[in-house]
Amino acid sequence: MSVCADKPAALSSLSLGDYNAASCLVYGIGNAGRQDDGLGWAFIDWLEGTPLCPEAEIQRHYQLHLEDADLLRYKTRALFVDATRDPEVKRFRVERVQPKLDFSFTSHAISLPSVMATCEQCFGYLPEVHLLTIRGYEWALKQGLTAPAARNLKTAIAEIAAGE
Amino acid sequence: MGKKLVIDPVTRIEGHGRVTVHLDEDNRVIDAKLHVVEFRGFEKFIQGHPYWEAPVLLQRVCGICFVSHHLAGAKALDDIIGAGYSTGVQMLPTAEKVRRLGHYGQQLQSHVTAYFYLIVPEMLFGMDAPPEQRNVLGLVEANPDLIKRVVALRKWGQEVIKTVFGKRMHGISSIPGGVNKGISIAERNRLLNGEKGLLSIGQVIDYAQDGLRLFHEFHEKHRKQVDGFAEVPALNMSLVDDNGNVDYYHGRLRIVNKNRETVFELDYHDYLDYFAEATEKWSYMKFPYLKKLGREAGAVRVGPLARVNVTKSYGGSTPLAQAALERFQAYTNGKANDMTLHTNWARAIEILHSAELIKALLNDPDLQGEQLTLEPPESAWTGKGVGVVEAPRGTLLHHYQANEEGAITSANLVVATTQNNTVINRTVRAVAEEYLGGQAEITEGMMNAVEVGIRAYDPCLSCATHAMGQMPLVVSVHDAQGRVVDERVR
Repeated sequence: MSVCADKPAALSSLSLGDYNAASCLVYGIGNAGRQDDGLGWAFIDWLEGTPLCPEAEIQRHYQLHLEDADLLRYKTRALFVDATRDPEVKRFRVERVQPKLDFSFTSHAISLPSVMATCEQCFGYLPEVHLLTIRGYEWALKQGLTAPAARNLKTAIAEIAAGE
Repeated sequence: MGKKLVIDPVTRIEGHGRVTVHLDEDNRVIDAKLHVVEFRGFEKFIQGHPYWEAPVLLQRVCGICFVSHHLAGAKALDDIIGAGYSTGVQMLPTAEKVRRLGHYGQQLQSHVTAYFYLIVPEMLFGMDAPPEQRNVLGLVEANPDLIKRVVALRKWGQEVIKTVFGKRMHGISSIPGGVNKGISIAERNRLLNGEKGLLSIGQVIDYAQDGLRLFHEFHEKHRKQVDGFAEVPALNMSLVDDNGNVDYYHGRLRIVNKNRETVFELDYHDYLDYFAEATEKWSYMKFPYLKKLGREAGAVRVGPLARVNVTKSYGGSTPLAQAALERFQAYTNGKANDMTLHTNWARAIEILHSAELIKALLNDPDLQGEQLTLEPPESAWTGKGVGVVEAPRGTLLHHYQANEEGAITSANLVVATTQNNTVINRTVRAVAEEYLGGQAEITEGMMNAVEVGIRAYDPCLSCATHAMGQMPLVVSVHDAQGRVVDERVR
């Protein structure tokens, strides 16, 4: 299932209130020193300032690691938040992610489906995983989101918060 | 007309590299090179920043060996404020041991990544296996129990880093003259005894031994391939202590020859008096060499293979690693080992060595000491400093100068991958001659053999060029006369 901002009806699949338990994870991926790569962390910054899911485990990292399979094994539900360059994502997208070994691994990068597949293969268990991607435009070595990326973040937050 | 083969990108290394192999009309190798096309930038970028920011900012050159950059930078800052080894000052025991704990934790974690995630798949599936299989995710499918252990092992290494530096990447512990916190009894006990989801030190050592056994079994079955793959002569360099034993954090730089005799030994503050750096127009990565021996004879190897060639022993505190080292050194009858794939053997030994060193440190009450930082008087300010550590990939040097206002005026980083540049290129040439030379048809497995040779060094090209920002990739195609017939910029 894939949900774009221009199809808000499907956003009902994502309620942050469902993440209000220690067994839930919200995980921001990115780097605030690389302009729009900071979108994932900016979402986490916003989330930490709201009362929507204070019990959830919140993490922010530069990239996924294979060890995140070990993190997932203890969770019932996880939301990953990342920036995307995909032009098909107009503002943001929410999708339910399925496990898949896509052989994309380097020590600097691994995909979320591969982390999930590793969790499933190694631990025989998989939580429900969603991915929120927010459209970004610039990735240079500079602090701060670009204006259009900040607008996309604001839209994502507004629509998600409206669904609570 | 001759042929030119291009492997681009070289996979499962850090950063972007490109290999070109030139064949003549009879398919003999006439040239082979590793090109590094990332651009250096951090040394310039840091100028003008306050001196104390250097180890904080420069560790961000890398997402893998950031602890090494942080500590090399911290040692340079100790010198700058007049609390470093250059001024004869001894670091406070707690500060030095906390730094060492973080250093060994990163070495364990980094080596586990390189060894299990990037190299073991080739050992288990073979260089000729399809790319989608000779990959850690191929291991996930084939041997999930092994991966469970590896994930747990790397996670434990990350927890050591997190305990010392506050977070698992780019944290801060070292400050000029010491560290900003010690290790509590609770933190120590957690790492020693483990908890739900976290290994104990005993399990870590067991798993490290499993990793070493994996190499021994592979070596037993494929001795000819492992021993015959790119035997590349070079001098070997490592930091050593007063007993001639490797010291990953501090010591003198020792360089040994094939007979493991010392040909040079120097205070690392004098590095620039001994080494020069050559450049080539086809790579942004420099080629360091010993000035007195010249570029060819003076190239040195650094990293796991070099360290086990240089060290006399591991001393008495790490008996399992000591036994493994003795087996390694006996294999070549006490001579230096030039077999490229034995780097992976050395790396597996160093995983075990790191684990035992950490165990010894965790049991040292100095970690709970309360004196964390030396505070020399302003008059002790020197304005210049050099820090060297043995990073997982080999000898790493940071050299800074700062003005009286405390702003960095120059910075120079010489990283392990740069030190290894000449030896890596020799390896590429040797593997190309062995696997590609004289072949009518070039297969994927043959091309991968070249990558296997490079990966043995676990090179970090981002570190080596101090890459910053998004860099263009330039691919050039040359005809037999050397003319550029096509060029693409991404």
